[in-house]
Parts: sequence; structure tokens; C-alpha cells
Amino acid sequence: MRKCRSHWSQGDRERHQRRSHYYEGPHTSHSSCGGRTREEVVTPPLPEHAAAGSPMAMSVDFKTYVDQACRAAEEFVNIYYETMDKRRRALTRLYLDKATLIWNGNVVSGLDALNNFFDTLPSSEFQVNMLDCQPVHEQATQSQTTVLVVTSGTVKFDGNKQHYFNQNFLLTAQSTPNNTVWKIASDCFRFQDWSSG
Amino acid sequence: MFPNSHLPGGHTDQVAQRRARCSDIYQRRLSSRSEKVNPGIHSSSHQQQDGEAAMHGAHMDSSVRYTPYAISPYNRKGSFRKQDQTHVNMEREQKPPERRMEGNMPDGTLGSWFKITVPFGIKYNEKWLLNLIRNECSVPFIPVEFHYENMHASFFVENASIAYALKNVSGKIWDEDNEKISIFVNPAGIPHFAQKELKSEKVEKIKLAMNQQCDVSQEALDIQRLPFYPDMMTRDTKMASNPGKCMAASLHVHEENIPMVMSAVGMDKWKGTEPGGKCADRSPVCTTFSDNSSNINSILELFPKLLCLDGQQSPRPTLCGTEAHKTLPTCKGSFFGSEMLKNLVLQFLQQYYLIYDSGDRQGLLSAYHDEACFSLSIPFNPEDSAPSSLCKYFKDSRNIKILKDPYLKGELLRHTKRDIVDSLSALPKTQHDLSSFLVDMWCQTEWMLCFSVNGVFKEVEGQSQGSVLAFTRTFIATPGSSSSLCIVNDKLFVWDTSHQGTQSALFTLVPTAFSSVPAFSQEQQKMVQVFSVQSGMNYQLSQK
Repeated sequence: MRKCRSHWSQGDRERHQRRSHYYEGPHTSHSSCGGRTREEVVTPPLPEHAAAGSPMAMSVDFKTYVDQACRAAEEFVNIYYETMDKRRRALTRLYLDKATLIWNGNVVSGLDALNNFFDTLPSSEFQVNMLDCQPVHEQATQSQTTVLVVTSGTVKFDGNKQHYFNQNFLLTAQSTPNNTVWKIASDCFRFQDWSSG
Repeated sequence: MFPNSHLPGGHTDQVAQRRARCSDIYQRRLSSRSEKVNPGIHSSSHQQQDGEAAMHGAHMDSSVRYTPYAISPYNRKGSFRKQDQTHVNMEREQKPPERRMEGNMPDGTLGSWFKITVPFGIKYNEKWLLNLIRNECSVPFIPVEFHYENMHASFFVENASIAYALKNVSGKIWDEDNEKISIFVNPAGIPHFAQKELKSEKVEKIKLAMNQQCDVSQEALDIQRLPFYPDMMTRDTKMASNPGKCMAASLHVHEENIPMVMSAVGMDKWKGTEPGGKCADRSPVCTTFSDNSSNINSILELFPKLLCLDGQQSPRPTLCGTEAHKTLPTCKGSFFGSEMLKNLVLQFLQQYYLIYDSGDRQGLLSAYHDEACFSLSIPFNPEDSAPSSLCKYFKDSRNIKILKDPYLKGELLRHTKRDIVDSLSALPKTQHDLSSFLVDMWCQTEWMLCFSVNGVFKEVEGQSQGSVLAFTRTFIATPGSSSSLCIVNDKLFVWDTSHQGTQSALFTLVPTAFSSVPAFSQEQQKMVQVFSVQSGMNYQLSQK
């Protein structure tokens, strides 16, 4: 059984503050006419934070982590690929500042590079056929709630033939009392037929 | 909480996007022609000329593929042409008296510069802000030396009418919090960058080359709008038709700010102009040189004729490489982050698959953390009705896109090492081809490594014996005892390549990961145990 943290560490608070600033910052999205869409992946608060303030540490069982991971993953995948296809300029809002992407072996590190990269990638049409996720063990993340998300499907980039792809994400949670915002810490993308693509 | 952004009016956005996309298109299309130009600057003189700036947009349509999102081809073409016309008309009409005097000063000093300031503009992304202003501004303009100072954003423009037009934009644009954006305009005197001139060997060389190869057609080039430095072109033939590159570099001009003023006809005539001949000596010499190759390439991308000059530009295998038909970045092989990590991971994989293929997977118990997770998936292909070699994996396949049963969702995620190894033992026997392995190490911290292995394996028994399947397996591992890794998360994805026709290709994959795996030295083991906490670890990742 895992114990939860009943209050945030200083690091969490700082991360939270940084994220707020980030959201108000210049990495903005231009949504299409008529819609105000949100490029955020938000789920209900994490169990341990819901119990914040309780004098007793609450035990959270594995099943809760799994459910939470699934919820985040489903929400995330919907938003991610839609943003990638339709609002590409907003895509980096889903990434942490220092996030890294390895795209068919090309390393793209940090938001500036990510912005530039997604800008130069042709327009896309993704079709996700498979989605799976796992909560990442806290020993690997030092209790920073993280979910491994794995997707697979097809993608057609403008001007190129269609490819099958596999993609992996590590999503980390930024928690507030009212909700949890998930962002990509790391991203790994490959065509299945990368050697011929 | 994090406030949702308040978005500016949709139409403005669409226009901005459209224009931005048009610029981007050209940039991508022509970047393969471009080479890096050392942006040596030399003023060239020019005179303002009347004349038609024939906008050549015809050819771009058929061979050009726009990528503005959700914008119909008709509209794209339409808007682009309109933009052309607008620019052309504007520029022809824009001849206030002081413009005639500008730039005709032999000592290289300039006419009227204005500093445009957006208070608290530090909040805004440069591209976004300039696009916003441009959409509202009645005349096209080239912002020079865009920069942030204190809390504000500023740039220079070289024309009183433009400055006036920009002033009129003040209060008519809003940011994403629905706050009005003001614009202040002040005469700037001669900006600092206009007072310096860069002299270098390269500048001389470039001058020479441009003289030989470049001509400035007054009909085509609206020199008012684009201070043009024919001197800056190089001898290289590829560069010959890309003078804009130099301009962009020298002016540190934002790529999307360059209006479409060059015509195809004009391009042809860029041959052998004398410096100080047709071009007036003017020198907004920019001391900040953009090294960014996309900036350098940018202006030229806007020249329509070049789009159709060569429909078969060879792709440039750079990360942001682009070309006429938008090739993707070149696909590369394994990425490890560091030699040490590479050795660590490869050795781990060797050991892991040795046991995995041995016929008895119980030996893997020591590889997993007590509370590890494992799941596997196969592709969901509604068209697949024929039984395939994947069918043995079907019952374990966890695909939460289609699996809604919460019980199964839970069950199919194996938890604890005992459960995991039992479930692995029930999977078909395999023989993995280590030489086919390709590894992406895509996350590493002090506490964990996250990497994905791609490769192929054979089934070695049963009905589908001999069939080859492909897999991607993602491991998240923490430092284990005695220089090994301890798996905390394991995700396997298996698919059948035969329908993709890439089966043989996979077997001839560039030998990637396992070309050589040296044995661990004692020292290496020690280092590896603590995962090399030095900042060098992630730094190396970004360096590669």
C-alpha cells in the first residue's frame, strides 16, 4: 500500500507557481474561429490531494492509481492528437518547459526547440487505434505522479505517405486542490517502418 | 487554477494563421536551396523607382501545397493573391515626400526611422505580436531590430507613413486576456544599428559575388520596402537566386514580416549590378545577426517564381529540414544519451532476452521490482478478420481505447513481479533478433531510465512457428543492485509486419544497438549504480 503525501513539498509549490506563470505566458494558442478550446489535460484532483489537510495519511491503493492513469491517458490522447492535427501551434502548451521529444531518433529538447519542430512538421492526420497506460512507480519518479501512455495507429503527414506509428509519453501531474493538470515530460515517437520511411 | 486563454477574434486569427502559413510554406519549400550565408552587411544604394511590381503568383498553385489548417484551397489562393495585390498597390501609393529623400544620402545615413513600442510587450511572443499588429495595420511593414527592453517590446520602421499607420493600430488590438494593446510611436533618429557597418573578408567576397550574379530589377523590387543589399549575395549559384536570405539575415527581420514584393521577373534580372549603382546607399546595418537558418532562408521563400523553379529539390536531412514537398525530418537510429548509458542498457537487454528466449522466463523475477507493472497490446484493426500469428497475444491485449470493462482494465495490467513473470511465461516462446534492435532512450533522471526497444522476433513453436513479429517494448527502470536495472514498468506492443510489407526491411535494419557491447568494468559498474547524477547526464541528452 502506498502512503500519500498529505501536503505539498516546497518543490511542488514551486512547480505549481512556475506552471501558472507558464500558462499566462506567451506560448499561446490561436484557436480556430468560433471555438475557444482548451489545450490542457485536466482531471479531477489526485486522491492524496483531495485528502490534503487530513491529519492522517491516507492510503491509496493501486487500483486508484490505475483508474487515475487511465482517465488522464484517455483525456490526454484525445486532446493531444486533435491539437496536433488542428491547432498545431498550441501543441507545446501540453509540454513541460524542459520536455524532450525523440522523433524518429531526432532529439528535440525544450520548448523553443519543440515550438520550432512542430512548426516545421507538415500538417498531420492522426488515427489512434491503440492506447494503453500504466501508472509509473513512485520509486522512479520520487513521488511526482507520472503516467506512461502508449499509443499506436496511423498518421498521414501532408506530402508524405501514410505511416504506422508508435508513440510513448510520460505525463506528469501538476496538482491543485481542484484539479490535476497533466503535461508531457517526455515523448518518444517512431514510425513502425522508420527504416523505409 | 490556470486561466483559459482569452482568444482574440477568430477571423483575425485565421488571417494571421493564413499569412503565417503562406510564409512558412515558402520557407520550407526553398530552404534546400539555401546555404548559410554569413550575413556580412554592406550598404547598397538604391533609388526609389516607380514601376509595376508584377506579382507572380500563378505557378505556385499547382505545385504548391499549402498547409494552413482547415483552409480551403480556393481561399488560400484567393487570399494570397489578394495579399499580393494589396502589397503592390500599397507600395506603389506609398510615396510620401520624405521617402524620396531617404536613402539617397551618399554617406549612408538614413531618412526617417521610427521606434514603435508596445508597452508591456514582454508578455507577448514576437511572432504573435507582429502578426496581430500586421493584421490590423493598413500598410505592410518590416519591423527591424525587434527586441524587448524592460517590460516593453520595440522595433523600428523606416517610414513615417508606416509609423503613422502603426500608431493607428493602437487600441485596436487585444491580447488573449482581452486587454487592449497600445502602440507608441516615436521618431528614432538614426538607430544604433544604422551607424555601423560591418567590414569583413566575407562581406567583400559576398559583394563581389553579388555584383557578378545579381541584378536589381526596379520593376520587381520595391526598394522602399526592402532595403536590399545586392552585395550580399555569394558566388554560389544556389545563392544567386536567394538574395532575400541575406536581407533577412542582415536585418534580423522576422521571417513572416517580409511582404511579397519580389516578382519572378525581377528575379531573373538579378544579374551583375554595380554597388552604388541602382541601389541607394542605405544602411540599417543590423548588428544582431540571426544565425538561424530558417530566418536566413525566409525572405526568399516568399518569392513565387522560385517555388516553381525546381519541383525536385533534394531533401535536406536536418532536423528542421524542409523542402518543396515538406519532407519530414530524416529518421535516425538508436539514441542513447551517453556511451555509458548505452552500454548499461544494451547489457541489460542482452541479459533480459537471453532469459526471455531461453524457454524459462522465471529467471526474470530478479529483473523486476516487487511492485512493477506490465501490460501488452496488439493493434486494433477492425479489418483484420483472418486469424494471424497475433492471436495468441489477443487475450492479454490491453487497449483502453476499446476496452471499457473496468474489471478487465484492471486485470490486464499485471502488477507485482510474480504476476508479471507468470503472465510472461504464458506467452509464446520466442527468439529475438538482437541485431534488429533499435533503442530510444527518451527519458532519464537520477532515479530512472525510460527507454523503448524496437525490433523483431520469431515464434519458435506452435502453429505460427517461424513467423516474424515486430515489437516495441518500453521499460522504465530504476538502478538495481550490482549494476543492473530494476524494471518498474514494462509495456509491450506486438504487431505483425506482413500487412505492412516491411517484414524483410526489418530484418535488414541497420544494425543499431548491438554492434558491440563491451563488458562492464568495475568502475563502470560503480558509476552506473548511481546513475551518474552529475548534470552532465541530461545535458548530454540535449547536446545530442
